[in-house]
Amino acid sequence: MKLITLFLLCSFPVVANTLPSEKRKNGPLIQEVLSPVQVYLQESSAVFYDNETYKNFIYGTVVSSDGLVLTKASELEDVEDYLIRIGKKKYRSFKVLASDSNWDVALVKVEAEGLLPVDLTGNSEISHGTWVVSNGASERMFRRPRPGIISANKREIPGGSPAVLGVQFQFEDGKMKVNAITEESGAQKAGVKKGDVMVRVDGKEIVDDKSFIEYLRAKAPGDLIKLGILRGSRELDLEVELSARHKLFGGPQSRNDQMSGEFSERRESFPMVLQHETMLSARSVGGPLFTFEGRFLGMNIAAANRVESFAIPVEDLCKVLAKLKISAGIQ
Amino acid sequence: MILRKGVLILMWCFPATLVADSLAFNEKEVPETLDDFREIQKALQANLEKARAATICLQLGEGSGSGVIVSAEGLILTAAHVTAGVGEEMTVVMEDGTEYQGVSLGLQSETDAAMLQITDQGPFPFVEYDREDSTKLGDWVFSLGHSGGFDKARGVNVRVGRLVREAENTIQSDCMLIGGDSGGPLFNMRGELIGIHSRVGSSKEESMHVPLREFQKNWDDLSASQFLGEGPFAQKSEAGTGFLGLLSEPASEGGLRVVELWEDGVAEKAGFRVGDRILEIAGEEASEEILNAQLAELGAGDKLKLKWISGEETKEETLKLGERP
Repeated sequence: MKLITLFLLCSFPVVANTLPSEKRKNGPLIQEVLSPVQVYLQESSAVFYDNETYKNFIYGTVVSSDGLVLTKASELEDVEDYLIRIGKKKYRSFKVLASDSNWDVALVKVEAEGLLPVDLTGNSEISHGTWVVSNGASERMFRRPRPGIISANKREIPGGSPAVLGVQFQFEDGKMKVNAITEESGAQKAGVKKGDVMVRVDGKEIVDDKSFIEYLRAKAPGDLIKLGILRGSRELDLEVELSARHKLFGGPQSRNDQMSGEFSERRESFPMVLQHETMLSARSVGGPLFTFEGRFLGMNIAAANRVESFAIPVEDLCKVLAKLKISAGIQ
Repeated sequence: MILRKGVLILMWCFPATLVADSLAFNEKEVPETLDDFREIQKALQANLEKARAATICLQLGEGSGSGVIVSAEGLILTAAHVTAGVGEEMTVVMEDGTEYQGVSLGLQSETDAAMLQITDQGPFPFVEYDREDSTKLGDWVFSLGHSGGFDKARGVNVRVGRLVREAENTIQSDCMLIGGDSGGPLFNMRGELIGIHSRVGSSKEESMHVPLREFQKNWDDLSASQFLGEGPFAQKSEAGTGFLGLLSEPASEGGLRVVELWEDGVAEKAGFRVGDRILEIAGEEASEEILNAQLAELGAGDKLKLKWISGEETKEETLKLGERP
């Protein structure tokens, strides 16, 4: 019942009639016509480059002329050393001010001025089949526009990977004892050790395993918890970041995932998204989504699979930005 | 004769000029301005609602595919690798979640064409198909389907692209497809069905569709539930592989007495009990010869009609054979 993947050579006789690739939907001749929109993509996008690989790993959306940029929070976690390019300028001076795990959005302040921010006063009311444009694979000086259309209903994306601590524990004689620690987990990074007894979480006593598990279940990957630990006679307070279960323990990839290339690690659990079909990869998410008239519709938040890309609608993005500004202490 | 030719030429010219007026973007190598893109959008949106209403999700066991209704009576075109056989029962789901029952008709296993009939009462929303095979290379097209399975909140998934390759029994577009889209419709910008999603290539932008002419060529055979061709998109069951999951011996009062049942076998699931007496097999009086002859001919997935007495009750049912262990 699944779509069958076959190589073209097998399925076509030699005498085939073909449209040259430059005239296809994502071809250069089509992109050329989109140059009036390209200026918005160029000036209102921030591109985050990994300093080690010199490759872009995520995009951002410029929301103020003095350097506030929104991006996908979960993709920032894995890269330590990076630079940001906005328009044609490079910036090495910036700071991650705050992030929101509910929407997976981070607020970054770049030391810049005179930027061209997106228009946050608009709305995302738009019908199926309307042309939109996102950033494609970009060269340093030139962002290639990727055309597509609004492809499905605006909606909530439920689900998401549960948050895990990364320890195996056993509740025995009133004690929550750590038996093993998962490699690469937040617990390992925070220095939790085998034999530790967990006594408090976020200041509250741990009374049994059931309530402890329930407490963790309400958390999201990326959240921080304060873990009170008894090691021998010493008491320690460790700050542990919770990990997404699938990141630590993997999971079988579906056929559809296998054929979807580089999709976003976090592509579920968003309160509201617009769905479109501009071709994105995990590395080009975070930038703005425009209509062909340059109207800002929202910020790309996930390359969900081969055919579905998600953007946070502009109205919701405004609210997230307002919250992030408050937690960062800016007006 | 001459007159007829004249009429034909007139008829040919007239729609051609109409088309040139409304779908001028198809006459250009590439869109030249943003306005050309807006014209594409206008044409797509004018036809989208009707196309969505006729696009359905097909559910069969764990799997799912797509299809499109082409008559008010509920005739559906889909892919052979979705129905996978003739006479298969499956659930037809409309975009709003309404469910109907359907049964697969014929298929062409070499081109991946298949038909299915909704068995519930119509009328159903349907689309017209491109009877004249008028769509050409480079034309703008749009693709619908229930990508990855039915999702009520999302609805039908729409994509846009161009017809990028034409071959004898396949057309290719750059509308992206994924599992679950199989069997779904490809439309031209007049809203006419031109193809059925079949498979994808190695890049995201290589999507293969069965052209409508492959359906038209075999329309009668497909409607008459014929299994055409030797694959690869569907395989006929292999004779002798069908399994009923019961052991029987001739009964003194006639027919066959069930003496053993395989746990979770086809017969047990159909309600057979040890001691039941089979009266008829495929409409004939039950005997060991008849049963063996039928099983030698049928394969896994094929159907066999049985009539039997279980306790006080006489039952009659068509059983779908399992795989011989």
